[in-house]
Amino acid sequence: MSAPRVQRLFHWFQRTRVGRSIFRVGLPQSNLERSQAMVSSFLLHVQPAKVGRHALRPSTTFGLGLISLYLFFILIGTGVLLMFYYVPSTGHAYDVMKDLQFVVSAGLIVRNMHRWAAHLMVFFVMLHLCRVFYTAAYKPPREFNWVIGTGLFLVTLGLSFTGYLLPWDQLAFWAITVGSNIAGYAPVIGPKLQFLMLGGHTVGQEALTRFYALHVIVLPSIALLMISVHLFRVRKDGGLARPDEPANTVQQMEVSQLPTNKSYGLMELARGTTPQVGLNPADEVFSWPNLVFRELLLLLATIAVVLFLAIFWNAPLEELANPIHPPNPAKAPWYFLGLQELVSYSAFWGGVVVPGVLVAGLVFLPYLDRQRRGVGRWFAPERKLATTLFTIGLIIAIVLTTIGTVFRGPNWSWQVPWKQSPAPTEGP
Amino acid sequence: MQPPPPSNDVSRRGFFQLTLGWLAGSFAAGATAAAAVRFLVPNVLYEPSQRFKAGRPEDYVDGSVTFLEDERVFLVRKGRTFRCLSAVCTHLGCTVNRVGQGYHCPCHGSVFDDEGSVKAGPAPRALEWFAVTMSRDNRLVIDKNLRVRADKFLVV
Repeated sequence: MSAPRVQRLFHWFQRTRVGRSIFRVGLPQSNLERSQAMVSSFLLHVQPAKVGRHALRPSTTFGLGLISLYLFFILIGTGVLLMFYYVPSTGHAYDVMKDLQFVVSAGLIVRNMHRWAAHLMVFFVMLHLCRVFYTAAYKPPREFNWVIGTGLFLVTLGLSFTGYLLPWDQLAFWAITVGSNIAGYAPVIGPKLQFLMLGGHTVGQEALTRFYALHVIVLPSIALLMISVHLFRVRKDGGLARPDEPANTVQQMEVSQLPTNKSYGLMELARGTTPQVGLNPADEVFSWPNLVFRELLLLLATIAVVLFLAIFWNAPLEELANPIHPPNPAKAPWYFLGLQELVSYSAFWGGVVVPGVLVAGLVFLPYLDRQRRGVGRWFAPERKLATTLFTIGLIIAIVLTTIGTVFRGPNWSWQVPWKQSPAPTEGP
Repeated sequence: MQPPPPSNDVSRRGFFQLTLGWLAGSFAAGATAAAAVRFLVPNVLYEPSQRFKAGRPEDYVDGSVTFLEDERVFLVRKGRTFRCLSAVCTHLGCTVNRVGQGYHCPCHGSVFDDEGSVKAGPAPRALEWFAVTMSRDNRLVIDKNLRVRADKFLVV
């Protein structure tokens, strides 16, 4: 069927009684309907009827937050499918992995998609964090949304960490053993926290049950709630950060400042204390179709990339968990390898103090940074110090992660990745 | 009729009502949170016993260091003396391997000598030594709850 015929069919359906009851507006034909389409649809009303042109420019955000959200949706979809087979039991979990690989129709691809989307989500959430920092988009009035974003970053890591144990293979078992022991180094409450986390003294059935509950319901619910607040705040805090934003949102626009050659009504101009103040209607375009179609395109691209990865690369699965023999070297997932490298020098300083200070620094950053200028611009020259400090931290993190990933061999000793490493030393 | 002017003064009754209300509210919230946390602390553990029998003394060759897999300990025999060394690395809980005259941890590279002392790596403490006793039926009994000094032996 050709495109016009599909369109005609939709127009016919939209005019029927049933069609009118579902789509209040239908395919918009006028600017009025374009606004109405955005406002009257549940799925679209989250977004404004009109957006600034700067928001549509790819270089404003590169869509990093949106990609993270799409990956989260993919993870929910594939995760729910996996739940129909998975059993959180030390005796069965690994068998289910093998079934997914070899027996269940499309089981392999669903598991692959879940694993790759999870890795990508951690990666894109980190990139999103860097983007918001480098464009100074956390400054007033968006401080609190940065705090929520930091929380979402931690919840994302928590989701990855808890999901890591579920296959009950060697990697799962030893990554969680190492991770929960790091928690045990926390001052005062450390050992108690570790005991509570594992539901016992070692990683076993109780730990698997707890991690399962956290992974499939507790953390996703928290993430969903926080994502909702995060998106709501993006709009309420005045949309995407933009360079020409008034420094003080309380600033009021006078009628005399309005351009006189335009005929739009005064209702399009926000007044008072909302962050919409200062938005110039001349710089705005209708969200339908300009924003909506770009977002759909990004969704398709995200799904395509995850599918591509899932088709050509299988999610790793090591041997069944063996509490007696740790693999040599025992490595955490890549996003924790920087931490593991630090931990290999000192568990307390590397595993508790450094991450603690980093998280506290991220949370309080918008309240510590008093510089008000540079909002909405990449690497604004006014923020040379902040940009430099953040970049140094970022480089250290990348270097540590790289060392932990490729330059550490058996017994966590130095190795050169392009040389054959010596056989791992075994017990007697 | 004019509404009464707003007042910031709190009456005696109002003060008691507020205090009581806040106290009751905080108590209910605190008690619920405490109960929820307590609920998550297991009262029964289905883990293997920390105290176990390790066979007869003559099962172990003189001068041998035997790894007991399920219990994650090394049983060390020298002449007529027996000692028991934990195989759990004090760093982050990996199982150490016997290498030469010492122990290596594969996870983060800690190295321990024959006496369990840290020679290299991030381990903060020496490996633990556990109490070895003899049961009435002439079996070695190891109690992982009882930590002893490295120079404490069981002589048979």
